[in-house]
Amino acid sequence: MVTMFQEDNGTSSVASSPLQVFSTMSLTRPTLIPSPSSPFKDLKPEERGLYLIHLLLTCANHVASGSLQNANAALEQLCLLSSPDGDTMQRVAAYFTEALANRILKSWPGLYKALNATQTNNVSEEVHVRRLFFDMFPILKVSYLLTNRAILESMEGEKMVHVIDLHASEPAQWLALIQAFNSRPEGPPHLRITGVHHHKEVLDQMAHTLIEEAEKLDIPFQFNPVVSGLECLNVEQLRVKTGEALAVSSVLQLHNFLATDNSGHSPSGDSASSLPLSNSGKIDRFLNAIWGLSPKIMVVTEQDSDHNGSTVMERLLESLYTYAALFDCLETKVPRTSQDRMKVEKMLFGEEIKNIIACEGCERRERHEKLEKWSQRIDLAGFGNVPLSYYGMLQGRRLLQGYGFDGYRIKEESGCAVICWQDRPLYSVSAWRCRK
Amino acid sequence: MPVDLDNSSTVSGEASVSSTGNQQNPLPKSAAKKKRNLPGMPDPDSEVIALSPKTLLATNRFVCEICNKGFQRDQNLQLHRRGHNLPWKLRQKSSKEVKKKVYVCPETSCVHHDPSRALGDLTGIKKHFCRKHGEKKWKCDKCSKRYAVVSDWKAHSKICGTKEYKCDCGTLFSRRDSFMTHRAFCDALAEESVRNHTHSKKQSPEILTRKKHVPDPESLTGSNPTASSVAPVETRSAKIISPRAINTKRPESPKTPREILQEAQEPTGGLNGVFFESSSASPSIYASPSCSQSLFAPSSSIEPIALGLSASHGPSFLCSTRFPAQPAMSATALLQKAAQMGAASSGGSLLRGLGIVSSTSPSVDSLVPNGLALGLPCGGESSSGLKELMMGNSSVFGPKQTTLDFLGLGRAVGNGGGGGGGPGSTLIGPRGSSIDALATFGSGEFSGHDIGRRTS
Repeated sequence: MVTMFQEDNGTSSVASSPLQVFSTMSLTRPTLIPSPSSPFKDLKPEERGLYLIHLLLTCANHVASGSLQNANAALEQLCLLSSPDGDTMQRVAAYFTEALANRILKSWPGLYKALNATQTNNVSEEVHVRRLFFDMFPILKVSYLLTNRAILESMEGEKMVHVIDLHASEPAQWLALIQAFNSRPEGPPHLRITGVHHHKEVLDQMAHTLIEEAEKLDIPFQFNPVVSGLECLNVEQLRVKTGEALAVSSVLQLHNFLATDNSGHSPSGDSASSLPLSNSGKIDRFLNAIWGLSPKIMVVTEQDSDHNGSTVMERLLESLYTYAALFDCLETKVPRTSQDRMKVEKMLFGEEIKNIIACEGCERRERHEKLEKWSQRIDLAGFGNVPLSYYGMLQGRRLLQGYGFDGYRIKEESGCAVICWQDRPLYSVSAWRCRK
Repeated sequence: MPVDLDNSSTVSGEASVSSTGNQQNPLPKSAAKKKRNLPGMPDPDSEVIALSPKTLLATNRFVCEICNKGFQRDQNLQLHRRGHNLPWKLRQKSSKEVKKKVYVCPETSCVHHDPSRALGDLTGIKKHFCRKHGEKKWKCDKCSKRYAVVSDWKAHSKICGTKEYKCDCGTLFSRRDSFMTHRAFCDALAEESVRNHTHSKKQSPEILTRKKHVPDPESLTGSNPTASSVAPVETRSAKIISPRAINTKRPESPKTPREILQEAQEPTGGLNGVFFESSSASPSIYASPSCSQSLFAPSSSIEPIALGLSASHGPSFLCSTRFPAQPAMSATALLQKAAQMGAASSGGSLLRGLGIVSSTSPSVDSLVPNGLALGLPCGGESSSGLKELMMGNSSVFGPKQTTLDFLGLGRAVGNGGGGGGGPGSTLIGPRGSSIDALATFGSGEFSGHDIGRRTS
């Protein structure tokens, strides 16, 4: 039996991209035929990698067009070839395979729910994984650097500063800010930080760390925890007072607001010219609420990839590139045997991939979009862009150099910073002020 | 216009205090020596004049004693005096020999307040006083720089906005030296990451974990830009690059390096500002030989380090017969390769193969072999052509929809019909002409297998 994937379906495939065409190539491997068991041993890694890509695309095609038998066959092959502790492509393929399988499974919702019924949410694991992400990648470090710098610069001369962190999980960011404020020439301001998070323990820990530091440096400081999911946040809870200068920091949070049930999204992969933006009332309401607080500066860090296409094929193609890049980063920095690396890959990226590929509608929260679209959206909500300063960008670059994060680059795009791996943009940082 | 009494005395004499203003009593004695006019060292014989601030700031220094009209220049005053029809005696200037005058700054805290540091030029002392101790009333309309002296302001306005040098990172410079220095720094950052990959700083990530760092020991004071060469980038000891430390480094936040450049009146050897200082002081980051190279290196994108695969398209298909001897290619590279293959098989522009999702859809049917000198016979495949493909290095074009044999089993189906025998697999649909993709995967081991010589 020859494993051959014949592509005739035009129903769900979009304008064919090169990768898609690649998937239409027939693959034959005669030595495969006789023995279904471990026929892949003599494949070279590159060939295996290419085969994996082919299989993934094929499988996705089948899933999209509903031909589940073929999809099943593809999944079997994928399972044979991919592995969460192999090389980069194998790992990526493993998580995508799982995501595709989940997608198929979701057509039996009861089955899906039953299988996931006993999954528990381990808060400390989540926190741990997030910290691993902070350690293993420079992305959050650079983001915090740029955020703090933007805040510092905009708060020049201010005596009362209030910072709102929309996902307060990493104390390192605010420790740095406290120290920076401490050494400004006009002395530290009266600083208040409000942290929003849905787990109280995280906020407690953060409060403890920050207050300790502030006391050490003798800075007037207050930490206000707000235990709430971001989507159900009421801005009243943030207790913004008049007379204080407000800064808002959002790190990888805004895209969750794009999750919506209606698919009013214009299906196009070309983000350059796309207006209308995907309409989700939630994001606009949220941005408006923030605008209503008149922040002096709002710094937004987001993924810079188009993972919000309306078809799963689009999303698969884009996210393959993105996560391949992210997994490559890990490969160059962390040994393959590292358990921590597996954790990040599985619990952070794996979950994101699963969400992007398998979920739809309100469940699909990892709706990453390109910087351009975010800029449009934020601009429409009444914010004006504040270009990141030369000094900030310089510091960001030096950070990347200093820790041997080879392969990463920061480039500037209309006043915003884009962190890239080789040439692939991954994350963007931009600063905004309230425009009246 | 009221006239202020000038306070003047010889260097060796005593002082008499002027009548107005916060005029101090600055004058010491000094021995009479031969005349010298070294800069910064006034002639000891010269008359030290201490003008009051009001006088210095006054615009009309020369006043006609008859009608009290003020003039900015002595010549203009003389011209004016002629009109008064003065008798001969009064018309002449005082006949005592003109003594060289030097001027001291009335501001006590100023260096030039001391007569031994007096300035020899009246205009000079006026400008100095305005610049250093005066209010900056003149503002450039293009940028935010302010000036106390009109001539400074005018000079700046001329060059403001007329920047000439632009670095690849987007920064603009009006001066060549600062541009060069920045470029060394900036490009070196990019270049070094490629070059020093092997012996680069492998800081363990733990450095950035909960350990609290001491704030950066170096203190950057704004008034000391040249001395703080410390190279924040110099040593590795996580001294600096932790986000906390960086933020503590820069007490006066508004000053960007560019502003330092512009404001520094006297560039020290062309290197202004701490950042550029450090670039020469930290060989560990950019060895200076590489510095100069990097000045001229294009800041193109850095190729993936681990790739032996050339990213060029068509030619690579032609020339690469085997994989690079890497144990594993990065996933990004694999994707690019797959995209290239996809693009190639569709016959479209090879450049499309860079994974552009929404490529203008190359309709799979309208394949035009690109005429890229691939050595392919257009339109028909003869078995010999296929053999070339299999053994040789050409790419995978075909006139119709191609079905590639992964890992190369050539199923040469010429126009005439099926290749004989063969594990009856390949014909895909009515259009099947299959082209061997062997070359792209090029490994030698398969060519042994495949030799699917099909005769059409």
